[in-house]
Amino acid sequence: MLDGILLGLSTALQWQNLLYVIAGCFVGTFIGMLPGLGPITAIALMIPITYSIDPSSGMILMAGVYYGAIFGGSTSSILINAPGVAGTVASSFDGYPLAKQGMAGKALAIAAWASFTGGTIGALLLMLAAPTLAKVSLSFQSADYVALMCLGLTAIAAFSNKGTFLKAMMMTVFGLTLSTVGIDPSSGTERFTFGNTDLLDGISFLLIAMSTFALAEALSNVLKPEVKQSAGEQPMQIGSIRLSKAEVKEISPAIGRSSILGFIIGVLPGAGATIASFMAYAAERNLAPKALQEKFGKGSLRGLAAPESANNAACTGSFVPLLTLGIPGSGTTAIMLGALIAYGIQPGPMLMQDNPDVFWAVIISMYLGNIVLLILNLPLIPYLARVLIMPKAILTMMILFFSLIGVYLVSFNTFDLFMMIGFALVALVLRLLAFPMAPLLLGFILGDMIESNFRRAMMTSDGSLSIFWDKPLTLGIMLLAIVVLAMPLLSFLRLRKAAI
Amino acid sequence: MLNRDTLGALIFLAFFTAYAVFAWQIPLLPFEEMDAVNSASIPKVYAVLGLMFSLLALLAQAIKRQHSSGDGWPQINRRSIGQTAVLLLLMWVYTALLEPIGFLLATSVFLSAGFFIMGERRWRVLLLASVPVAVVFWLIVTKLLGIYLVPGELWS
Repeated sequence: MLDGILLGLSTALQWQNLLYVIAGCFVGTFIGMLPGLGPITAIALMIPITYSIDPSSGMILMAGVYYGAIFGGSTSSILINAPGVAGTVASSFDGYPLAKQGMAGKALAIAAWASFTGGTIGALLLMLAAPTLAKVSLSFQSADYVALMCLGLTAIAAFSNKGTFLKAMMMTVFGLTLSTVGIDPSSGTERFTFGNTDLLDGISFLLIAMSTFALAEALSNVLKPEVKQSAGEQPMQIGSIRLSKAEVKEISPAIGRSSILGFIIGVLPGAGATIASFMAYAAERNLAPKALQEKFGKGSLRGLAAPESANNAACTGSFVPLLTLGIPGSGTTAIMLGALIAYGIQPGPMLMQDNPDVFWAVIISMYLGNIVLLILNLPLIPYLARVLIMPKAILTMMILFFSLIGVYLVSFNTFDLFMMIGFALVALVLRLLAFPMAPLLLGFILGDMIESNFRRAMMTSDGSLSIFWDKPLTLGIMLLAIVVLAMPLLSFLRLRKAAI
Repeated sequence: MLNRDTLGALIFLAFFTAYAVFAWQIPLLPFEEMDAVNSASIPKVYAVLGLMFSLLALLAQAIKRQHSSGDGWPQINRRSIGQTAVLLLLMWVYTALLEPIGFLLATSVFLSAGFFIMGERRWRVLLLASVPVAVVFWLIVTKLLGIYLVPGELWS
């Protein structure tokens, strides 16, 4: 492992990679601050740029953007009570009241330190967990992968917002169906191309990501403005970013506990930063003495530190299934998986052996990203926060332009752009109908892998489905997927019974 | 009146029905017909799953409606709908004109028209926020990254 860490350090500390991680953190913070735009959009906008650089640098840039976007989301949560992403909603519960009390700088400093500690503990646990899990997963066969992917798909739906389980499942299947467009790689049969040669290669993942996130989010902000602060209004004064010893003492245990909790939740497919931050917030409120409990929601330092450290640790944790099994557990890691596949790199148990530079550079760059956020971004927050007063017209048009031209520069095919506009319209309608987008992306990216692994499994078993319950490991994962799938249905039936 | 969850389920029911029809029409190659899994198998499974979930969603809505009401439609004003529709149309026009008139002109027009649609009326801002962006981006892409961008089929 030490060799790996040294290799990762030597790759991540190359001057151009350091520049990428710094640039990524800044761009991510900038985009993450914009209400309505989250890390998925930030990363999607970066993908066309990463195609022109080597895979390690590309992944380093994207990791920087990811952390920057999470930090940026916290900033807009604290300053204007408009969380950029769901993962930072819990940060606004106490962050915004603190800012209203004139302690915005302190709240941002707590967010940065908590994120840094959460990210650091997460990165350390990732260094320990990933190689071990990668070794174990070397024994996995095609049927196990199919089972794991089914678990990943059902988990992201099951952990979606309350009451949206069936919607998430429909979106997952929608994503899976889109992955079947084009020539079937196994037989060469055309599927759902309707005689259109532009569809023979299938639909590109970049197109789906850009249209369902970047374009649809920008258009959704035009259609349904959610920004609580009107354009042109000055964000509040930042104030001092210094923390006293007593304050550090108060938040430290909460940060430690929440980081570990966040990492564990992040590893679980589908759970992610949102659940981690809410659980950490709830846990800290319950653990706090009665007097401190009453401060929660009114500007509690612990109430801000807990979700911040948990969401950063969960972001790091979500890389464990991606790097070791090749299975993304969230929309953000799904988009990174798509980018890796586009580079010709298949994440999974062999990644550590075949591309150790990428594997370790990603892990090390996560840590560097956290340092950059703390040292460079935090002092620059008053200046970066000016993005919040940028005119909406300029912002929207820039996102539309970069999304369209980003896809065009990769494919040089205007048919892709027409298709992208069509998908953006569909995504916009689905957003209005409160359908979650991440399951669509996950289904689309996992679709090809599920099909190829399913076929391989069926070939090894001579067409017998028993391969999915013959081995205890496969059976166990399958049963877990069924339990996860059945949980929301059972709770719905229980609620109905109670209502009667 | 339809609530938005029912409408969503109906849209997906229609989509998965159409998908199922096409999935059952995927032409199989001769060697595939005896295979346990062929090119149509997985699409058929997805079609069945999609139909199952959309029907379940409709059923859940039917059950819910017996106990509660309220449609939960988001509040959107007409001006926003108009702006969004025109922006979508503008993107379509930009795509259609990108290769015939070239990147520089198409992008400048696209950005300034977009700013105008979004409510910007100052001509100086319209020009300064569009033409320089198009030129700088073009310089970065063509001169710095060495990527060829079509100058416009109409002029070449």
